[in-house]
Amino acid sequence: MKLAYYPGCVSQSTGKEMDASTRAVCTALGIEIEELADWNCCGATHVSNELVATGLAARNMAQTDLPIMTACSICYSNLRAAEERLKEPEVLTKVNAVLDKKYRGAEVRHALDVMLEAMPEGDERIVLPLKGLLVAPYYGCLLTRPAGLYSAEFPVILETLIKRLEAEPVDFRKKTACCGGPIFMPQENAADDIAFGILSEAKRAGAEVIVTVCPLCHLMLDAKQKILEQKKGEKIGIPVLYVTQLVGIALGLGPEELGLFMNTVSPMGIVEKAYERMGNES
Amino acid sequence: MPIGVYVCHCGLNIAGVLNMEELKRFAESLPDVTVARDLQFSCSDIGQEQIQKDIAEFKLDRVVVAACSPRLHEPTFRRAISKAGLNPYMLEMANIREQCSWVHMDQPAMATEKAKDLIRMGVAKAALLRPLEPESIPVSKYVLVIGGGVAGIAAALDMADAGLHVFLVERRPTIGGYMALLTDVFPTNDCSICVLGPKMSEVFNHPDITLFTYSEVLGVEGSVGNFTVSVIKRARYVDEKLCKGCINECAGVCPVEVPSEYDFGIGKRKAIYIAYPQAVPLAATIDPKACIGCGRCEQACPAQAVRLEQEPEDIKLNVGAIIVATGWQPFDASRKEEYGFGRYRDVITTLQMERMLNASGPTKGDVVAPSTGRIADSIAFLQCVGSRDATVGNPYCSRICCMASLKNAQLVKEKYPETDITIYYIDIRACGEGYEEFYLRAQKLGINFVRSRVSRIEEVDGRLFLIFEDTQTAEIKRVHHDMAVLSVGLEPEKNAEVLGNLLGLSRRPDRFFEIAHPKMRPVEAHIDGVFIAGCASGPKEIPISIAQGSAAAAKAIKLLHKGTLELEPTSAYVDPDKCIKCKLCVDICPKKAISVKSPAYVDEAACKGCGSCAAACPVDAINMRFFSDEQILAQVRAATFEKKESPLIVAFLCNWCSYGAADLAGTSRIQYPTNARNIRVMCSARVDPSFVLEALRRGADGVLIAGCRIGECHYRDGNYQALQRVQVLKGVLEKIGLNPGRVKIVWCAASEGEIYAKDLREFIAELKAMGPVGTELKKLKNNRNEGEA
Ligand SMILES: Cc1cc2nc3c(=O)[nH]c(=O)nc-3n(C[C@H](O)[C@H](O)[C@H](O)COP(=O)(O)OP(=O)(O)OC[C@H]3O[C@@H](n4cnc5c(N)ncnc54)[C@H](O)[C@@H]3O)c2cc1C
Ligand code: SF4
Repeated sequence: MKLAYYPGCVSQSTGKEMDASTRAVCTALGIEIEELADWNCCGATHVSNELVATGLAARNMAQTDLPIMTACSICYSNLRAAEERLKEPEVLTKVNAVLDKKYRGAEVRHALDVMLEAMPEGDERIVLPLKGLLVAPYYGCLLTRPAGLYSAEFPVILETLIKRLEAEPVDFRKKTACCGGPIFMPQENAADDIAFGILSEAKRAGAEVIVTVCPLCHLMLDAKQKILEQKKGEKIGIPVLYVTQLVGIALGLGPEELGLFMNTVSPMGIVEKAYERMGNES
Repeated sequence: MPIGVYVCHCGLNIAGVLNMEELKRFAESLPDVTVARDLQFSCSDIGQEQIQKDIAEFKLDRVVVAACSPRLHEPTFRRAISKAGLNPYMLEMANIREQCSWVHMDQPAMATEKAKDLIRMGVAKAALLRPLEPESIPVSKYVLVIGGGVAGIAAALDMADAGLHVFLVERRPTIGGYMALLTDVFPTNDCSICVLGPKMSEVFNHPDITLFTYSEVLGVEGSVGNFTVSVIKRARYVDEKLCKGCINECAGVCPVEVPSEYDFGIGKRKAIYIAYPQAVPLAATIDPKACIGCGRCEQACPAQAVRLEQEPEDIKLNVGAIIVATGWQPFDASRKEEYGFGRYRDVITTLQMERMLNASGPTKGDVVAPSTGRIADSIAFLQCVGSRDATVGNPYCSRICCMASLKNAQLVKEKYPETDITIYYIDIRACGEGYEEFYLRAQKLGINFVRSRVSRIEEVDGRLFLIFEDTQTAEIKRVHHDMAVLSVGLEPEKNAEVLGNLLGLSRRPDRFFEIAHPKMRPVEAHIDGVFIAGCASGPKEIPISIAQGSAAAAKAIKLLHKGTLELEPTSAYVDPDKCIKCKLCVDICPKKAISVKSPAYVDEAACKGCGSCAAACPVDAINMRFFSDEQILAQVRAATFEKKESPLIVAFLCNWCSYGAADLAGTSRIQYPTNARNIRVMCSARVDPSFVLEALRRGADGVLIAGCRIGECHYRDGNYQALQRVQVLKGVLEKIGLNPGRVKIVWCAASEGEIYAKDLREFIAELKAMGPVGTELKKLKNNRNEGEA
């Protein structure tokens, strides 16, 4: 499988582990990725101006004829939304008028579904099946809305992936709720309440780990977890992994490769537990 | 070819501005004019008699009246000349009042010159007039009604009582539509089936109604007065005539049980079933998808009515008119995933609530939470589910669901006064006679109202929670209810889409069938002889659906009661030798009047004479009997015969809106310059690019085309077609070196005299800036010469 890879700006800053694990997992699964040579913002910084946002996305998408993969839900959502809008001849004409390389249609994919496709059931490359690990599948809002390909409220693709790794998805009621990230700047308290609500729901559901598909969700749930615990006076202590990191663990990739040391709440406990379980079984 | 010209003073209305003596002398000088007179009031008896006398004396065979607008007195003068033995279509009018003396009051000399041109144009056209005979065709006195809901029933009964014979075709095994499934109905809360049931029986027993249930229309051919319709009557595997409707005998032994579509999933039926006890006809149907062919019903039937070998029947009907009353279908609530319909058992729709409240429904009138089977203590109604919602593609208001929820809430409250009921609404829309009072009644009963669009429903441990912002207190809340009722909106019936295509009906953006005019023609389709009633043309309540059914019936009666139909002889016709069968005209015709067998053929009963096909035909194989190419070109040549204006404008105005606007500018005495020479056409789409080119070639400095406002074309979309042609034409002008701005298209409604005048003034200014036609060619030539030098 050969794809163009769109890392997105977060891959250069707070989401380095997302980028690292994506590349590592692709290598391990034999997915050939070619980074877009001259990528720019996906449009997220200009969502208030639909045309500019669409133009930014189109400039990325015009660079390749391959399907484009991204691991970030924000980028995914923006590129997909642009793909839809560019089906309107009027928008297409306006956008192409300012592009050097003209947009001629594109296919955008999230790393989540690329990995699922590349990793059939019972894949022998899953050397560390995550048997018994209770995982909260957290989709956040942008993977499925507004232009996602999955059910907006009741998607199941993450659950499918979790099961494929032989882990166990918990019944996680807030799986498609917003993480609070988008209102973090203007309404910090409200954003904190929302993020904490998601963490407590994961705890209630008995999750040992939360898996995310979006760097903003990851920031809210992982990087802010300690601060939120202090603010609310309640311990959570659940590691939050990018879906690519979770897959990487099951594929037996090392913590360095997967950027596991960059996570704020250390996931090393669950990795060790997984190895222990495997040891006990054999 | 002796022509008589009559220049009217209209008291001082015309004579006060124009020089009548000069006009009369001018008219006399024109070719073929045998007699020219100025008359005080040509429309008066004296005036008409003078014309009639001249026809006899001078053996006139055509007449030009230069007076007021043809929209006012054309019928008068047609009648007058036909009394004198002339064909009524041998008349032409020159509009020198509304479009001349009244709008150029302070420039009498220029206005007189313009009037001369208008008379010259009238005479030139008159010379090419041909007698036309309005054809009268026999029409069928049979009518087809498609859809047996309350609207179709109302239409069928009215027409049958008036003596037309009605074929009623209904898709389902019973007539009645959705109304038959409702409980009590607002605004009076009387029992729905108790008022509808007798009407359904009346349809069944009426000697002048032939009922085809479980049937569908597969093909429609022909046009107004004479449609041929093919209908298929599906096999119900039961002899309708023998079945006694006892149903317990056969359904009792049938081993297959499936959810009943008439209970919207909350009740069950057998593979052999009757939709509900009041069904008409009261005959069982076997659902072939559910039946396993065991034959037990056949053995059990005491009337021996079961026919497992029954075949579908093909039926051909000849009818003069068609009424489409195909109704609506409920929005699929599972599309609003956030409400969990289909996942959470206690989330139901208003239609399921209607069935629960119905004494003969699946719960025998008990309102129970499906998960527990117990009477619900607290019920939430959620409004606007699938309506006013762009995320599901339905931005429109479904109009009846506020009232339906108010009704259901009242009915529940009356039955179970202890039940806590809350309606979550964006705003309550209760506009109709007695509706606001109905809303107040609900408030007095103690029903709660929360202004909010619920964001989602959660089910936690089997309990429902609504999450929403109360927009009156600005609080986010999470509230438990035993049951949530989704007030689903009305969408157009999917099963009527094919039918719409067969009939050539157009659809609005909301996908309901479009009526010919959103105000003035509420039950007529764009296609002559086809009418639309009830929810097929948009959500509406029962009283309005009935009113529309009756209105459509009245229209059909008016059309067919005489047994003959007089056709305006203004249609298009094809020169079969020229036609290249490109089919361009077939797609363009707003009335679906043209078919290309070999060669194209115009159904003159269906043609309304807009002339778009004649303008579109690439080889000029189509012409019009009235407003022919030759006549219009003659007017163009006459208008440019002597150039007395700078800039000189040839203007084409559509009969319905822009010609009306120009007349209104006159009656309102709006003053504007004299530069334009107006030519009336039926539709802006009639303007063939060759007319425009001819005008420019002969020295007009600009050509104005004016049509109805976009979306308001009296045919369908003629103004769009005109716009497209103008855009192409502008490209052509540019290629030949003329300024594309010399052709301009504008829109004005018949009420917009001021706008017409303003558009014209602007165009004059633009043309002045361009200079006389050809200026740009000279410049081009000079530039080239310079370039070579
Ligand atoms: C929950 C709810 C409650 C309501 N309560 C009230 C109320 O209390 N009072 C009130 O005034 N209104 C009420 N209404 C509105 C009412 O249902 C409509 O006004 C009414 O049904 C309109 O009748 P109709 O004949 O136009 O359409 P329909 O009732 O839909 O009838 C159309 C008929 O055409 C048939 N059909 C469809 N397609 C074809 C085809 N291709 N060929 C042949 N036949 C076809 C259908 O099978 C159907 O029998 C309510 C609506 C809802 C949703
Ligand atoms: S009638 Fe009421 S519930 Fe129905 S769409 Fe309109 S506002 Fe919403």
